Amino acid sequence: MPKKIIVIDDEKIICDMAKKILQIEGYEVDTFTDSVLALDSIRKTQYDLIVTDLMMEKVSGMDILREVNQRSPQTKVIMLTAYATLDATIEAIREQVYDFFPKPVKIEDLKKSVKKALAD
Amino acid sequence: MVIQAIITAIIGLFVYISFNSVLTKLIAIEKIDDVNISILEMRKDEKNYSLSNDLNFLKELVKVGEGTQETILSSKSSVVPILQEQGCKNYARLLGLINQYVSLANSAITSSIPPLDFEEKFRTLGHELTSISEQLLKQERKSISHTINNVLFMIIAFLGTIFFIQVILLKYFFRLVIKEYSFIERLIKLVSKGRFQEVGQEITSHQNEIGDAIKAFSERAKQMEKCEAEIKQTGKLASLGVLISGVAHELGNPLTNISMMAQTFLSVYDMLDDDEKKSYMGDIYNQTERIQKIVGNLLEFSRQMKPEFQEWDIGEIVDFVLHLLSNQLMISNVKPHLNIPEGLPPVYVDASQIEQVLVNLFINAIQAMPKGGDLFISTSYDPESDNLILEIRDTGIGINKENLPHVFDPFFSTKGTKGTGLGLSVSYGIIRQHRGDIMVKSEEGKGTSFIIKLPPIKKSRGPEVAEENYCDR
Repeated sequence: MPKKIIVIDDEKIICDMAKKILQIEGYEVDTFTDSVLALDSIRKTQYDLIVTDLMMEKVSGMDILREVNQRSPQTKVIMLTAYATLDATIEAIREQVYDFFPKPVKIEDLKKSVKKALAD
Repeated sequence: MVIQAIITAIIGLFVYISFNSVLTKLIAIEKIDDVNISILEMRKDEKNYSLSNDLNFLKELVKVGEGTQETILSSKSSVVPILQEQGCKNYARLLGLINQYVSLANSAITSSIPPLDFEEKFRTLGHELTSISEQLLKQERKSISHTINNVLFMIIAFLGTIFFIQVILLKYFFRLVIKEYSFIERLIKLVSKGRFQEVGQEITSHQNEIGDAIKAFSERAKQMEKCEAEIKQTGKLASLGVLISGVAHELGNPLTNISMMAQTFLSVYDMLDDDEKKSYMGDIYNQTERIQKIVGNLLEFSRQMKPEFQEWDIGEIVDFVLHLLSNQLMISNVKPHLNIPEGLPPVYVDASQIEQVLVNLFINAIQAMPKGGDLFISTSYDPESDNLILEIRDTGIGINKENLPHVFDPFFSTKGTKGTGLGLSVSYGIIRQHRGDIMVKSEEGKGTSFIIKLPPIKKSRGPEVAEENYCDR
């Protein structure tokens, strides 16, 4: 049974590229550009890993992280952001984010981090 | 001043000459009066002699007569020049008569028995003397009163003329001064409206103190216009600084996309068919287009061009600025709500300046809502004041009552080192130059609303009004 990953980002290209790479790695990938729909999906589906952008319209990556911590603390969250401020990073660490990538993301690093997160 | 001095000197000279002539005549009349008194005295002696036949009276008469002759001769130089022709004859005749009179008396004294017709001759001579002397006196009195009347008339005429000239001159000068002042008043009005360029263009040909003042005023206005342009540019650079930080983030998205696509393309290259490869490149190209657009907008805003007044739909300008700030609004979680009805009259503005005002107001609104909020932008037309009204309302922290009256003051800022205090003061200047108005309403904790009023172009009046609007800058 392949591991299930959800990728959430306002930018469709990020979602598409991440999906392409992660699918080749053998994961099952859902993508959402709408964070509200993504949150709905998280509530319904048991994902093994969540890859989300921090700054999004409507629901932020931090809100998703909190929701996941509450609902299923074993699910890991990897966060991507173009606006990496120290405050946001500290908050994410306190909310036990698994990994934190500034954009543009190095795909090899992301692949490694995903692999490690799902192996733990 | 010179005219007044000349007039005063002429009056002085005239009065001096007039009084001098009156004085000479008075002296002469005094002499004639003396002679007249002497003649009366001689007549008295003549009368006494005829009553008493006492020779002593005749001797007395001779004495007085000789004295009078001397008086007449000595005063001839001062009296004759002022006498008229008839007067001169009478004066000479008087001397001759006195001479005859005295010699007749002398002859009576020397001969023991006077001739028979002596008394008759003597009386006739005396009578003639009296009448000529009185005539002379009368003539002279008449002449002097005539002179005095003349002087009086001349003085009154002179004063009247001067008064008349003064009134006309005063009126002329007042009109001149009032004209100059109304010119200055117009300039001051222009300055108060911040239309320095027009003041600088006012050339005056007045070669006087007021002309100098106006020239100095115009020079100052030119400098002020330059300063104002510099402040405007500084304000623009300040808003540009804020914009750039937003735009830098905005550029991050397409750059990240390109980076992701390039990396993916490289790592999955072997697995891609030709169509997929083309699609990757197409997407990358689209992302560069996106970058170009963002940079282009920024350049468009930062351009320093000559003010260019054109007919604009206010909605277009609002759209451009919202686009410029779209990412900033998004990351600040500020949602814009537009209410711009179609069919509003166009405005005649310099779009780049109005954009600057809107960027300032939108950035202020974003900064006033650190936790996000709503930004309401609405336009309407007020037929009563004939203005296009643009309202920008946020749901932010608001401005407290102490600060509210100062928000348009230059260098007034509540943002500490983050603000320059130029944004709103420059915006105020721009709107005033467009013959518009900008007002602020705020309630602490509830939000702030800025209301801009701009005069529209009246289509019915055509380009004349456009020209009139244009002279703003």
